[in-house]
Amino acid sequence: MEQQTGSYILNKPWTDPSASPFIRIQNVTKNFGAFTAVDNVSLDIYQGELFCLLGGSGCGKSTLLRMLSGFEDISGGTVEIDGQDMTGVPPYERPVNMMFQSYALFPHMTVMNNIAYGLKRDGMAKADINNRVEEMLSLVQLDQFAKRKPHQLSGGQRQRVALARALAKKPKLLLLDEPLGALDKKLREETQFELVNIQEELGVTFVVVTHDQEEAMTLSTRIGVMDKGRIIQVGEPRDIYEYPQSRFVADFVGSVNLFEGVISTDNEKATGVRSPEAESELRVGHSISCVLNQKVAFAVRPEKIKISRTKPKQKHNVCAGKVDDIAYLGGQSVYLIKLASGKMLRVTTPNTDRRQNAVTWEEDVFVSWDDSAGVVLVS
Amino acid sequence: MTSAADDVGAGKRGLERFIPSGRTLVILVPLIWLFVFFILPLFLVLKISVSEAALARPPYLPLFEWSDDNFLKFTLNFGNYAYLIEDSLYYKAYLESVTIAFLSTVICLLIGYPMAYYIAKKQGAVRAILLLMIILPFWTSFLLRVYAWIGILKPKGILSSALISLGIIDEPLQLLQTDFATLLGIVYTYLPFMILPLYANLAKLDGTLLEAAADLGSRPIKAFLTVTLPLSIPGIMAGSLLVFIPAVGEFVIPALLGGPDTLMIGRVLWDEFFSNRDWPVASAVAVVMLLLIVLPTMFLRAQQKEEA
Repeated sequence: MEQQTGSYILNKPWTDPSASPFIRIQNVTKNFGAFTAVDNVSLDIYQGELFCLLGGSGCGKSTLLRMLSGFEDISGGTVEIDGQDMTGVPPYERPVNMMFQSYALFPHMTVMNNIAYGLKRDGMAKADINNRVEEMLSLVQLDQFAKRKPHQLSGGQRQRVALARALAKKPKLLLLDEPLGALDKKLREETQFELVNIQEELGVTFVVVTHDQEEAMTLSTRIGVMDKGRIIQVGEPRDIYEYPQSRFVADFVGSVNLFEGVISTDNEKATGVRSPEAESELRVGHSISCVLNQKVAFAVRPEKIKISRTKPKQKHNVCAGKVDDIAYLGGQSVYLIKLASGKMLRVTTPNTDRRQNAVTWEEDVFVSWDDSAGVVLVS
Repeated sequence: MTSAADDVGAGKRGLERFIPSGRTLVILVPLIWLFVFFILPLFLVLKISVSEAALARPPYLPLFEWSDDNFLKFTLNFGNYAYLIEDSLYYKAYLESVTIAFLSTVICLLIGYPMAYYIAKKQGAVRAILLLMIILPFWTSFLLRVYAWIGILKPKGILSSALISLGIIDEPLQLLQTDFATLLGIVYTYLPFMILPLYANLAKLDGTLLEAAADLGSRPIKAFLTVTLPLSIPGIMAGSLLVFIPAVGEFVIPALLGGPDTLMIGRVLWDEFFSNRDWPVASAVAVVMLLLIVLPTMFLRAQQKEEA
C-alpha cells in the first residue's frame, strides 16, 4: 500500500462526540423512478476535512455529491451545510462550489474569465476580481496561461483551471467529482499531493467522489465506502484498510484473501475460524461478538502473509501449498500459492534484497501469518 | 509538393503519369461540376453584364468583334452598371430586398431559436418526431405551399372567413398582395433553415456547462446569456445566412404573395430579363446582388475566424 500522505486534522473532530459537524446528512434518500440511487444515508462531515466517498460505478456516490451541490433534489431526509438546511436552496445560492469530472470549463472564455465567472456573478468590483483571479492563478501555477482558452491547455492544466475556478469564490465547501479521473497515472500522483497541499493551505472542507481506492487512501482524512446506495463503512484510511467490517469493504479496498468458514473458537483471548479451504484453524488474537458455528469470512491481506520452505512452529494460521505463479513488480513480487484445498492465495513480498534463492515456481512452501494479521468478517 | 510525392510521380512510366490518382478523382468530380454549373455561368453573366443590349438573338452585342480593318475589337460597356445607379428603382429594390430579407431573418431567429432549443432539450422519440415535423413541409412542393397561403390569406380565404364568422371583423382583410404576406411567406418557407443548424448546435451543448454556471452563482437566465447564447453564435450565423441569402434574391414568394408595391430585386431581375428582354441590365442587377450578399458574408466569416 502507498504511504498515507493524506491531509490530517490533528484533533480528529469525528472522535469527539461534542464536536458539531459542518455537513449533516440525515436519512437522505434519492429515488429515480423505481430505482433507489441513495438509500437512507446519514453522514457527518467536519470542518476542514477531506472526505472521500469511495465506491464502484452506480453506487450512488455521485448522486450524493449532486444532492450536496443542489443539482438533484432530495427524495427524503435533510442536508444541512454549516447549520443551514439546504432543502429547496438552488445551486446558485449555496455556499458550495463543485469541480466537475469533465471540468466543464467554458470553452468560449479565457482561463482568466473562467476563473472570474463566479466572482462576476457576485457583483464584485473589477479590481477585486482581478486580484482574486491572479491569486488563484498563482495558487495553481498557471500565471502565464491567463489569456489562453481551455482548448489550448493540456489535461493537467485544465484540471488546475477547474480547481481554481471552483475555489475562487472561497466556498465553505468544495465538492470534487473524480477530480483526477481524466489524468494519466504519473500526473495523477503528482496532482494528489498538490490537491492535499492546497486543501490544507486554504482550510476548505473537501468532499471528493472517487472510484479509485488508492486515490481515496492518499487524499482523505476519512473515507466513506458506498455500495448500492448505502454507506457501508466510514473511517480513517488506515481503519478502512486494516479493519474492514464487511466482505465488500475488505475486497473493494486493496486486495484480500477471503476464507469462508464458521466460528470454532470463541473466548476473550481469541476467535478462531474453521474453513474447509484451510487446513489449520484461522485465528485472531482478540474476541469479537459472535456465536459458535456462525458463518463468517476470515480475511487476510497479501502483504501480511509470510512464505517459508520449512513448516513454521505455530499451530494456527498456517497452510501448505505450492507456488503457482509469480509476478515480479520491481519493488515487490506477487506470489499465487495454491493450497491443498485448491484455493489460490495471493501473497506479496517486498524485494528488500537481490536474493537469488527466492522461492520459485512449483516449489512446495508454507504460508503463515500472525494472529494480529487477519480480520473476522461477520457480514 | 514534397520531394517524396515527386519521386512517386517520377516512378510512373508512360501513360500512367496522365491517369489521375483516386484521390484526385474524388476531388475532381465536384470541381468539374462546380466549374461547369457555377463558375462558367457566373462568368457568362459577368460577360453579358458588360455588353451592350441589342435587338438581336441573343439580345446583346458580342464583346469581341473583328472590325472592318481586321483588328480584334474589344468593347466593355459599364453603362448597365451606371444605369443601375441612375435609376432609383434599382436602389429601392435592393434596399427593400435587403430590408425584407433582414426582417425575415430576425423573425426566423426569434421564432426558430426557442423551437430549436426546445427540440435540443428533448430526448429520443419526442426529439425525432419534432424534427420530423420541421422537415415534413419539404415533402410537398414549395410552390404548392405558397399557393396554399394564397388560399388562406385572400380576401374570401380561410382566415378572413373564419374571423368574420367569429364576429371579430366585419370586412375581409386585405392581407394578400402586401409586404406582410411576403414576409410571412418568406419566414414560413425558410424557418426550417434557421431551426436545423441551430438545433445541431444546441444539441451539442454540454449540459454540465450550465450546471457549472449555476454552481458558480448564475440564475438560469444569466446562465443562458453567458453560456448558451455565446456558444450558439456559430449556429445563429449559419441559420441566419441560410435564411438571409436566399431571401434577398427571392422571386416566387413576392411575386405570388406580394403586392404591386413589393419591389424585391428578384422580381426586378425577372422583369428586366423576360419583359424588357434587356439581358445586359438584368445581368448587372444579378452581379450587384451577388456582391451585396457575398462581400458581407466573407467579411463576417473572416471575423469569425479571427475570433476563433
